[in-house]
Amino acid sequence: MENFSLSRCELIRLNRDTFIVTFSEKIDFEPTQFIMIETETSIVRKPFGLGRWNDRLAIGVQVIGPGTAYIVRQEKLNAHGPCGKGFVPPKGRGAVIVTLACLPMVFDLQERYDCDVFIGSVDEPWIEVPFPLVVGDEAFLKMLQSLNGYDWFLVIGSDQMEKIVYDVLKDKAEVFVSFNEYMACGIGACRGCAKVTKHGLKHLCIDGPVLRGEEVWS
Amino acid sequence: MELRPPIVIASGVGGMGEYLKLIDPRYIGAYTLKTITFKPRLGNPPPRLIATERYLINSIGLENAGVEKFIEELENGLYEELFRKVKVIFSFAGEDFEEYLKVAEKMAPYQDRFVAFECNFSCPNVHFNPLSDTNQLKKMLIELRKKLDVFLIAKLGIEGAFIEQLARLVEECGWNGVTIINTIRALHIDGETLIKGGISGPVLKPIALRAVYEVRNRTNLYIIASGGIMNETDAQHFFKAGANAVSIGTALYRDPTIVERIAKRFL
Repeated sequence: MENFSLSRCELIRLNRDTFIVTFSEKIDFEPTQFIMIETETSIVRKPFGLGRWNDRLAIGVQVIGPGTAYIVRQEKLNAHGPCGKGFVPPKGRGAVIVTLACLPMVFDLQERYDCDVFIGSVDEPWIEVPFPLVVGDEAFLKMLQSLNGYDWFLVIGSDQMEKIVYDVLKDKAEVFVSFNEYMACGIGACRGCAKVTKHGLKHLCIDGPVLRGEEVWS
Repeated sequence: MELRPPIVIASGVGGMGEYLKLIDPRYIGAYTLKTITFKPRLGNPPPRLIATERYLINSIGLENAGVEKFIEELENGLYEELFRKVKVIFSFAGEDFEEYLKVAEKMAPYQDRFVAFECNFSCPNVHFNPLSDTNQLKKMLIELRKKLDVFLIAKLGIEGAFIEQLARLVEECGWNGVTIINTIRALHIDGETLIKGGISGPVLKPIALRAVYEVRNRTNLYIIASGGIMNETDAQHFFKAGANAVSIGTALYRDPTIVERIAKRFL
């Protein structure tokens, strides 16, 4: 865990509002860990999943407001991390289902664990994506229904998308979910990112971000 | 109490020492732990936070494992590294007057480990407000003073009575200092989401500054100023208003390195 300044290398536009930002710095991290990035639009930093693109440190950003717009605009960013626990799946073959904005996070998962990657997107991507990708709700649901023979699933995306994935896949194998919750410190100090689970309160910045879906939704 | 640099990590924000991962301890005068209550508290249900550019509203609700668990951790050496690196302030509260006294009794044997005890009388996220009944408050201040020999600080808010009147009461009862101010009750509405919590951040600065000024003019208490200190200039303003030390809280969320920058100015 440390403070660092990130220098932007590339800004790759994936579609209308989604970008990959790559940085020249190297940071050791575990799959699904994240960094907290400072913006000028909020008094708290924002969490972004760590990943890679073209062998560089990268984050995916969907621009949904002034804070995310700031992040894709800046040449230098202040951040701290890596935060959270790295995801370690159970034995067996898994499937990782992500939104386009989470694309950088999947390379380390696939490198380290036996898994396939599937991407769901609202819009067609503007660049070629090296994984099976479906566009639109109907195609996404059909894709989920076709996923059989896996020992575990991991989903990373929006709250709504994650719940849909959990509901469709929960009877096929264990579904792990990278949960989203408002964060302030990202290091376990403030207790702001509490999540109610059947095992009591958990804090996503230290117990997560990945939890078993059934802990929260069963 | 002498703090060098005169910079305190605020209770709640600083957790149980986690920020030592991101801040060089040389720049911390004292580190205030998260408030410990007599009984364990789960805290408030999520969502617990909402932030804008100017403020943060938190509704944590004093989540903590209770004083017995804290003492167990203390005895098991969980905080040894923290004690080795920085001066530590113990923060405590109760759900009624009796509980404040019970925590003090339990912690009395350990008071030498801490540079001060901070009694949190002003958390906006609990139902009990000790500051609203000054007669009861006075009794408790006297009782707590009898039970503890440590440097005693009252954390006061602006809801209940004029803060300078409360501070005078604190001084009359033989206490050593005040931390002023706490967060102030606030409400956030976004669609169906409603967050009742305590507001902090830059919006508090003029209110906190006035509170420090008034308390300094009426007491000789040690004043830890807290509320909207985001940079070196803010800290300077609080020292000018009469603070002995400044407490950094919400600013840590934006940039933990702010502590080092402020400390270098005042070391």
